[in-house]
Amino acid sequence: MRLLLVEDDPNLNRALAAQLEQAGYVVDRAADGEEGLYLAREYPVNLAIVDLGLPKLSGVELIKQLRADGKSYPVLVLTARDRWQDKVEVLKLGADDYVVKPFNVEELLARVDALLRRASGWAQSELVCGPIVLDTRTQEVKVKGQKLELTSFEYKLLEYLMLHAGEVLSKTQITEALYSEDFERDSNVIEVFIGRLRRKLDPDDEYKPIETLRGRGYRLAVARGAPPSD
Amino acid sequence: MPLVRSLRARVVLWVCVALIALFAATIVGLDVAFRNTANLDRRELLDARVLGLIALAEPGPPGELRLPTEAIDPRFEVANSGLYGALYDRNGRALWQSLSLLGRDFPTDELAAPGERRHLMLDVPGFPPIEAQLMGITWEFADGKTAAYTFAIGVSLEPYNDRQARFRNYLIGWFLGATLTMLLVVSGLLTFVLRPVHRLERQVREVEAGDRVKLTGNYPSELVGLADNLNMLIDTERRRLVRYRNTLDDLAHSLKTPLAAMHALLAEQRSQPGEDRTEALNRELERMDQRVSYQLRRARVSGASGLGTEPVAVAPIVEDLKQTLDKVYRDKRVVCSVTVVPGASFRGDPGDLTEILGNLMDNAYKYCAGRVRVKAVSTRERLVITVADDGKGIGDEFAAQLFQRGKRADESVPGQGIGLAVVRETVELYRGALSVGKSDLGGAELRVELSRAGVL
Repeated sequence: MRLLLVEDDPNLNRALAAQLEQAGYVVDRAADGEEGLYLAREYPVNLAIVDLGLPKLSGVELIKQLRADGKSYPVLVLTARDRWQDKVEVLKLGADDYVVKPFNVEELLARVDALLRRASGWAQSELVCGPIVLDTRTQEVKVKGQKLELTSFEYKLLEYLMLHAGEVLSKTQITEALYSEDFERDSNVIEVFIGRLRRKLDPDDEYKPIETLRGRGYRLAVARGAPPSD
Repeated sequence: MPLVRSLRARVVLWVCVALIALFAATIVGLDVAFRNTANLDRRELLDARVLGLIALAEPGPPGELRLPTEAIDPRFEVANSGLYGALYDRNGRALWQSLSLLGRDFPTDELAAPGERRHLMLDVPGFPPIEAQLMGITWEFADGKTAAYTFAIGVSLEPYNDRQARFRNYLIGWFLGATLTMLLVVSGLLTFVLRPVHRLERQVREVEAGDRVKLTGNYPSELVGLADNLNMLIDTERRRLVRYRNTLDDLAHSLKTPLAAMHALLAEQRSQPGEDRTEALNRELERMDQRVSYQLRRARVSGASGLGTEPVAVAPIVEDLKQTLDKVYRDKRVVCSVTVVPGASFRGDPGDLTEILGNLMDNAYKYCAGRVRVKAVSTRERLVITVADDGKGIGDEFAAQLFQRGKRADESVPGQGIGLAVVRETVELYRGALSVGKSDLGGAELRVELSRAGVL
């Protein structure tokens, strides 16, 4: 998942980005509104975290521009103003949630997680696709009730596939969502990880959870929701 | 900006203008009336003297008239007396001229036809301005012969003009005196009437200078409202100042202790580097965070005085907050029912009402199982808002802490309760009441009662 972080305080920007990256997100960082708008127009962002008090182009203006550009992904606002009037105004403007400074990072991560889930049409923090159950809060994955050990990258890949269950995702899309700019892009890596995921999710080759569409990409083929109990 | 700024100067100016206009009209009117009366007098005198001369005329030498000059009017006999007379035959030959002419000719040689009566205004060198009357008659002598004659009488205008001038001067003097008297009276009246205004002004200045706490004394009914409002404004300002000062003190106090603790922890870290003190530092940081947040939130409550504030409609604020919270708590799919009676309003700062409602509704959304109910009812005097949910309710212990008298909420209430503590303080600032009860939905019901008249 690719996040845009627009925050002018260098320390907060750096520390926040580090925490988000540690949580498995790819983070594009901007220090002012104009840079933020440029990055938002340039990269396939899944969610934007925007500070309201930004130099050059204010956070409010930035959000307006994003919405005017037709970007519909979630926007999380960071603000020092905690009056309800301000909160109402910010959400009316097109933001989806706000976090009041000072905040703790766990809270922010939970909000980001929830917003991304909702944007993909998931209402609960537990994503269920047939036998696969992924809890975005605890980052636990179970298949048929059995806990599965996944590496952090495997987890991010599965989460991304499940959030977009049913959609065809190209290798480029997956790479952009899961790798940062400076990472060496090699589409073979994706193939390798998909292979590993398949073996872990479906060791006996029973239900073939991940479909390969030649020349187009991959799709999580298991429908959303629990399978009918029989 | 009006040209004349003082009330007194305005009143005096307008009284002056009105009096001058009134008196000028009166003077002109009286002057004209006086002149008309004088003119009538003069005509009567001329008529009387002409008729007197005619009555005295008697035949003299054959075919001629003769006038005995004595005994008509002594002024005919006195040099330059201002009354002149003459008798002409039809050829303009003077048969008689009064002694007052001193041998000069009557100032006109015009004649009047028999039966004609003429008036002339004459201004001839050597004579004062004169009004003359010429009367033509036909005399029938005893022998049956007739002859035409003209009787001429002139009277000097000087005495009349003198009298007119004296009258006019007298009038102007009298009216000037009256005007001055009126102005003095008006001025004195103003001093008396404006005295409370001056007192108000003086007291306000004293309040500004800090020599006085509030406006005192009995003000006339026209000023009572103003004085009361000023007092309210002064009181609100003072309370606000006290509140800001207290907040600053509280902030300083609540920040300095954790700061000192952190200094100590860091010093300890330097002397004994082995131990990890991150947890302890974090706790101090959280304490500071919580207190700063609380103090700033309560300091920003405006507690508007109710002066110059429009009634704030409750319904749109509740609707905005509902939409905001529906968005924030989307995952919970809360069913929030809102019943606000039409016209429900609040007299105060809209931000304060939003703060009260926002905190109450946020708590309800946060702690409900799935249902929230917001109601606002207003009567003439009060606005009553209740926010209920179907959660676990508020514990008695927490409620007791929340309402502990004389205790700052950030000391008595744990982190989650800060919103309610701010609500309590805001409501108290508006002299309203907050109470906690059980809702028929199963959870807590918070009830806020506010005076619709603000703090008035």
